[in-house]
Amino acid sequence: MLKYMLIYIVSVFIASVSQIILKTSSGKAYDSFIKEYLNPRVIIAYGLFFLTTFISLYAYKVIPLSMGPILESTGYIWVAVLSFIILGEKISPRKLMGLLIIIAGIVVYSI
Amino acid sequence: MNKSRDKKNKNKRKMTDLLILHIMFMVFSLGGVASKTAAGSEFLSFKFILFYGIVLFILFVYAIVWQQMLKGLPLVTAYANKAVTVAWGLIWGYIFFGEGITAKKIIGAAIVITGVIVVVSADDDKSRDSSGDGKVPDAAEIIGSDVTPQKEETDA
Repeated sequence: MLKYMLIYIVSVFIASVSQIILKTSSGKAYDSFIKEYLNPRVIIAYGLFFLTTFISLYAYKVIPLSMGPILESTGYIWVAVLSFIILGEKISPRKLMGLLIIIAGIVVYSI
Repeated sequence: MNKSRDKKNKNKRKMTDLLILHIMFMVFSLGGVASKTAAGSEFLSFKFILFYGIVLFILFVYAIVWQQMLKGLPLVTAYANKAVTVAWGLIWGYIFFGEGITAKKIIGAAIVITGVIVVVSADDDKSRDSSGDGKVPDAAEIIGSDVTPQKEETDA
């Protein structure tokens, strides 16, 4: 069970990476409307997102349905951590508290 | 008086957007049901392809609706409301897969939802100073600002 939970979390992590790539892409200027969508970053981002649908499906072979959205909430943690590392966005004390509450909830749900 | 009516219309529109968003969250969470159903069937069998297709279709529609609703609703509101999918997971799990709903699961889910709301509201505090309520003006507002000056002219 723990293995499949981790697989689902990896899927959520990859989806978060995909989001960050999209975010870095949206900050750039493009020559045309088409290039705004058909550029390496956007294609990689959507490719990664497509991949996550397979990974989470694989995890659903074992984990219960109700656990999906619970583990999905780790996305807030990954996005905060990745934004901090890559985009240099700070994590406020209040946000950190919220992230810890999410982790506590996942633990309570899973034990 | 015009202003208060505008505000009423704006609130009404917001409520409609929120309702649409919640219908979408419900449908989106059914995507999980489709995903788990596909997971339970043989890889690349008809059933697998059908349900995986439903997963992709729901994600596609969801992305479009989400983008549209963000025009009228602050991002923070949208993300905070998204936490409801945790509750839908428990409900659909019980209905479709006979998963038990235990006190531990309900408490865990409630804690996760609380955490999500704290996280997204922390973002709200940060952005409030710079970008107001963080929403794009909608059609009603643009029309409203067009009409109001004319009214003032006739009054004068």
